Amino acid sequence: MSFTAFYKRNLGFYKLAIASNLEYRMNFFMDALLQPSITSIVEMVLWMAIFKGAQATTIGGFDQNSYLAYALWATFIARATVNWTYEFKMIEEIDQGSINGLLVRPMSYYEYYLSQLLGYKSITTGFSLLFPIGIILATGLPTQWDRFPAAMLLVFYYLFFVYSISFCIASLAFFFNKVQSLTVSKNLAMWLVTGELFPLDLMPDYLRKIFLMLPFSSGVYVPIGFLTGRIGWEFLWHGFASVTVGIIFFSALGAFLWQKGMRSYAGTGA
Amino acid sequence: MLAPVLKKYGSIFAAIAKASFIAEIEFRLNFVMKIINDIFWYAAQIFTFEVLFRHTNLIGDWNLQQTRVFLGVLFIVDAFYMTFIQENLDRFSEKVRKGELDLLLTKPVNSQFMITFARISVSCVGNLIIAVSWFVWSLSQLPDFNWMKGLWIILLVPTGFAVMYGIRFSIAAMAVVFVRVDSMQYVWYQLYRLGMRPDSIYMPWLKFILLTIIPVGLIASVPARAVLNPPELWVFAWSLIAGPLFVAFSAWFWKQCLLRYQSSSS
Repeated sequence: MSFTAFYKRNLGFYKLAIASNLEYRMNFFMDALLQPSITSIVEMVLWMAIFKGAQATTIGGFDQNSYLAYALWATFIARATVNWTYEFKMIEEIDQGSINGLLVRPMSYYEYYLSQLLGYKSITTGFSLLFPIGIILATGLPTQWDRFPAAMLLVFYYLFFVYSISFCIASLAFFFNKVQSLTVSKNLAMWLVTGELFPLDLMPDYLRKIFLMLPFSSGVYVPIGFLTGRIGWEFLWHGFASVTVGIIFFSALGAFLWQKGMRSYAGTGA
Repeated sequence: MLAPVLKKYGSIFAAIAKASFIAEIEFRLNFVMKIINDIFWYAAQIFTFEVLFRHTNLIGDWNLQQTRVFLGVLFIVDAFYMTFIQENLDRFSEKVRKGELDLLLTKPVNSQFMITFARISVSCVGNLIIAVSWFVWSLSQLPDFNWMKGLWIILLVPTGFAVMYGIRFSIAAMAVVFVRVDSMQYVWYQLYRLGMRPDSIYMPWLKFILLTIIPVGLIASVPARAVLNPPELWVFAWSLIAGPLFVAFSAWFWKQCLLRYQSSSS
């Protein structure tokens, strides 16, 4: 009975996110398709220019097509594994006191936004991935389709990790009020350490080793590298393991910050 | 005739700057983090090209030293953008939705001015110092650089900034008609991204578009080219015309949008 209630409740939050994101269709279209398409085209053009300048057939052991495939997938997957909207929402609610309206409801605040994040990501990612899939099928850029489900599973699992970090940052709003800048810092750092800007294997050796050990690489580099054949199954398993450690760590930290924050929260807002 | 107007807007601007500074230092962690964020952003851009140049000697037609100069110009224009207009125009759509525009329109000042400079990100002034330092350092790394060529920057950076402002403001102004244009601002960032890469990487037809129809190439590539390569006079002349042209267009477009405005606060 309790599981059914839990399931129904979270399914409701999940559907709520889908409905609210589809409300403004033009907005949705631009968010899910137009933006990442332009970004991926810019990045692909950059890689063509790099190969032209290098006058080489391979860079770091991979040919131009391999980099084009990476750049194409990376933009879309990076967008799927980043959390701006709900993190900002949570911070603002805590800062302005409108969280009161949610705290009095018979539900968990943590679940409320986690389910919404999953709903939002599933609708936008599901729609936006049509673009790279179409391009890959049309051009034959290297992609191992049999690896697609495992790579997407890691991307989905990584969302729990991203959300647990978001929850920690949002909880800091209990103590410092305006912490939106932390979200920006975190996402800018992720930009670099996930492998969104370029494949991590191009980095100097010592940095590459450090970044691959951290769970962040499972946001872009590991699933895309795995999908495009740059890396093998061992990296994928390592990705699942490091993300699990990350989830445990940040969930514990989030629970601690939330409890401490709730004790100090005066709730004088709306 | 012009002097009193300039004096009036100068004093409004000074008052806004003072109020913005007080408001920003109220939340000190946020203030410090804003500065750190921008350093992160610069570092990410620099790091990307430094890593890429480990594997190639040229990107487009520029080498590492030249690309560093391009980044310097980009950082300077971006610092101006971040300081003066980014926050105001990013939040404009929300202001329209909440009906805050009505109050602004009743004030006896130019509404476009007030929207553009409603708040100044004082923390971003530090960006300008970092950007100029990086730019000067990158020029000093060029062999046999003629420092007189650096004067082009004084002319071309403001025009690049004006083009950037004109496009960005026109996109933001659409909120008056369509109310929710959040995604249009993301489209702007994608267009801006095209300008964040040296224009020489693009195919000739795309480069032409980026210099003329959607002239984001004028933001950083053209000013950088002015100090790095032999002058392309038609591009510079166009850049000087395009700046005022796009600002004038944004003012005209703003008026057109206001004609279609339906107040949302009443």
